[in-house]
Amino acid sequence: MTSASHADNSGGAHHPSRRMPDHNFRYWIIAPSVFLLLLIGLFPLIYSLVVSFQQITMTDYDTSFAGLTNYAQLFDDARLWQSIAHTLIITIIALPIELVFGLAMAHLFLERMPGRQIFISLIVLPTVISPVVAGATWRLLFDQRYGPINQVIGWFAGHDVIMLWNITPHLVYPAILICEVWQWTPFMFLILLAALSNVDKSLTEAAELDGAGFWRIFFKIVLPAIWPVMAIAILIRGVDLFRIFDVIWALTSGGPGTMTETISIYTYVQGFQQFESSYTAAIAFLIVGLMSVIVIWAIRRMGLAK
Amino acid sequence: MNLIKRLGLTAAGALIAASAVSAAWAESAAERAVKEAQKYKGQTITIVWEAGLQSLDPLNFSGPLWEKLTGMKVKVVEVQTAEMFTKIMQEYRAGTGAYDALNVMPSWMPDLANAGALEPLDAYVDKYGYKDEFQKIAPIYRDNWAKANGKIYGLPDDGDVFIMYFRKDIFEDPKIKDAFKAKTGHDLSVPKTWKEFGETGSALTEILKPQNVYGAAFFRQPPYTMFMFQERFRNEGGKFFDAETMKATINSDIGVKVLTDMRNENKFMPPGVEQWGFVENLAAFMAGQTAMTISWPPYGRWAAGYGTDDKALNWVPKSTVGGKVGYALPPGGHPELAAGFDLSIASTSKNKDAAYLFIQWLNSEDISLQRVKLPTTLRDPFRDSHYTDAGYLALWPDAKDYLKTLKDASLAGIFDLSVLQTDKYEEVLRQAIGKLWAGEDPKVILDAAAGEWDGITKKIGVDKQKAVYADWASKSGAYPK
Repeated sequence: MTSASHADNSGGAHHPSRRMPDHNFRYWIIAPSVFLLLLIGLFPLIYSLVVSFQQITMTDYDTSFAGLTNYAQLFDDARLWQSIAHTLIITIIALPIELVFGLAMAHLFLERMPGRQIFISLIVLPTVISPVVAGATWRLLFDQRYGPINQVIGWFAGHDVIMLWNITPHLVYPAILICEVWQWTPFMFLILLAALSNVDKSLTEAAELDGAGFWRIFFKIVLPAIWPVMAIAILIRGVDLFRIFDVIWALTSGGPGTMTETISIYTYVQGFQQFESSYTAAIAFLIVGLMSVIVIWAIRRMGLAK
Repeated sequence: MNLIKRLGLTAAGALIAASAVSAAWAESAAERAVKEAQKYKGQTITIVWEAGLQSLDPLNFSGPLWEKLTGMKVKVVEVQTAEMFTKIMQEYRAGTGAYDALNVMPSWMPDLANAGALEPLDAYVDKYGYKDEFQKIAPIYRDNWAKANGKIYGLPDDGDVFIMYFRKDIFEDPKIKDAFKAKTGHDLSVPKTWKEFGETGSALTEILKPQNVYGAAFFRQPPYTMFMFQERFRNEGGKFFDAETMKATINSDIGVKVLTDMRNENKFMPPGVEQWGFVENLAAFMAGQTAMTISWPPYGRWAAGYGTDDKALNWVPKSTVGGKVGYALPPGGHPELAAGFDLSIASTSKNKDAAYLFIQWLNSEDISLQRVKLPTTLRDPFRDSHYTDAGYLALWPDAKDYLKTLKDASLAGIFDLSVLQTDKYEEVLRQAIGKLWAGEDPKVILDAAAGEWDGITKKIGVDKQKAVYADWASKSGAYPK
C-alpha cells in the first residue's frame, strides 16, 4: 500500500480541510523568510518613496505632503547634475584603464613562473584594504610636506616641485584616478586571470599552428571565451564606480569647492550634513532609476541575459 | 542671672544661626551639586562628548571623581565633531532618552533649541543656586553662547578663541630688526592690522630665508579657514546679511578684499600651506619653521612644553620654541571665538536633574579650574577666575602673558554666526575657500556663495531667519563694537 492510497483511505476527498495544508505546504514553509526579506528589503524602499513626497528635514517637524516638489527640485539643482557628470567622468576613465591593466596583468601571470603565487597575493593586497584607508594613505603620499611622491618628482626634475594634488584643479582627477586604479585593477586582474585560465588551450594552439597572430587569436578565440566573465567584472566595477565615495571623501572631500563631488558624496552631504531627508530620498530614487536603466541596458548589450 | 543666661542662650543661638547661614553662603556650586546629586546614588547619566582628547576629561578625571563624590556613574558617548549635531538630533527625533547631558557647539544652539532638543536651564540654575557662579563666566562666553530666544540652553564650558602666536626671539633679534627696517622702512613689531600682517610676514620670509623660516603660516584647510574668514570679514567691517532684507552681503568689497588678501598671503607662507590642517601648522610652528601663526589656545600651552610628555599627547611634535613664544590678539583685535562648547541637557533625558547637577559641577568655579589645567583635554580657560589663578599663572614662565592674552580675547572676541541651519551657510563658505585655493576669482566665488546663502535663507523662510539673525546680531560678540 502506497502512502498516497493510505492518504486516500484515511481521508481522501471527504476531508478537504486536512488535504489543504499539504497542497500549500511549500508556501507556508517559505512564507516567513519571504516576509522577512520583504520587511528588510522592501519596507525601507517604500518608506523612502513616501519620504520623498514629504518635506522632512532633521531640523524641522514638518512632515506634510509636498507632492512632486522634491522631484521638480532635482531638475533645477545644477550641483546634482554636476555631481552626476563628475561620477560619469571618473567611471568612463577608470573602468577601461582598470580593464586593460587587469587584462594585461592577467595575461602576464597566465604562464607559470617562479614566485607566481606570491606575486599574485601581493598584487591583490590593495583590493582588501578599506577604500577610505586607501584614500587616506594616498592623501599622505600626495602631501606636499610629508608625501614622497612630490619628493620623487622633485628628484627627477632637479628642483623642489609644488604640486597640490588635492587642491589644484588639473591634478585632483589624476590623483583620484591613480588611487582608484591602484586599488581596483587587482580585482579585474583576479577575475580575468581565472577566466583566462579556463580558455581551451587546444584552440589557441591550433590557431597558432594555423599561423594566426596574437591579436587575431585574442579577438577571435580568447575574448569570446572570457567575455561572459569579463562582462560581469565590467558590470560590477561599473556599478561600484558609479557609487564611488570613500576614496574621494578621504582624498578631496569632493573639493576643491565641488569639483570632485560625485553623486554619492552629494547625496551624503544632502542627507547627513544638510539634513534634507526628503530631498535626499528623491535623489536616491533618481539614482535607483538611472542605475536600473543603465544596468538593464548593459546586461542586454553584453548579452548577459541570454 | 536668668536674664543673663537667657541672653547668653539667645546670643549663642543667633551665633549658630549666623554660622549656619554663612556656611550655606560659603557652599560652592560644586559642593551644592555634589550634595544634591547624592540623592541619585547608583544612577547612571550618559553624556555626549567630542571624541579624542576632549573626552579624556570625563573618562579619566571628572567622571571618576563625580562617581567617587556622589555614587553616580557617568557613561561617556564619544562622537566625532562632524557627527555630533546629527547624533544629538537623531536621538532627539527617536526620543529614546539615550542621552542625558550634551556637549553642544554654540552655533548649533538656535537649531537645537528651536527644534526642542535642549532643555531650558534657567529653572535649574535657580533651583540649584548656580546664578552667582554662572555670572562669573567671562562675559563674552556667558552673554553670547549660553542663550537662545532669551533662555539659557547651555553652560559655556570651553574658551575656544583664536590667538596669535609669534616668535619673541625673532621679533626681538637686533639683526632681524635692522634688516626689517632696511627692507620696509619701519620698525618690526607684532602686526595689529591685516595690512601690517601682510607686510611683516612677507618681509620676514625674505629675511629668514637662509634659516628656512617663514614669516607666517596658518591652517588653510577649508573647515579652519572658514572661521578665519568669519573673523577677518567682520574685523574689516563686513556684515553677513542686510538686516532688513536678509540678503547675503558677504560678496561685498570687504569680502572680496579678505579673500584676495588671504590668497596673496599664501605666497610668503610655506609651499603647500593650502593643504595644512591643525597638525601640520602646529608641527611647523613647534619645529621653529614659522615666525607667526594663529590658532586655538592649546598651541600656546604645547609650544611652552606644558603637558606634552603625557602619553595622550605623544603625537604632538616636541617643541623647539619653548620660552620663545609670545601671545597677542590676531590682527584686527577681535578674535573669533571659533567653535567652542556648551554643556546642555537633552530634553528627552529621563534623568534631567541628575544630569544638570553633573554639568553644574563640571562648569563650577572649583571644578572647571581643575579641568582647564588638564594638559591633555583641550578645554580652555573661560572664567574670570581662570585668568588670574595663581596655580595656572605658575604653570610655565610665560603663562601670565598667555592668560592675559586669553583674558583680552575674552573682552574683545566675536563669535561664530549662529542662525537657523548655520552649517549650511558654513558649508558654502568652506566650499568658497576650496575654490579660492583652486585659483577661482574671489568676486565670482563670493557672488556664487551669496546666491547660495540667499537660497538657503529663502528655503528656511526669510522672516523666520530674520528674527533669529536679529537675536544673534543683538549680542555683544556678533560684530566688533
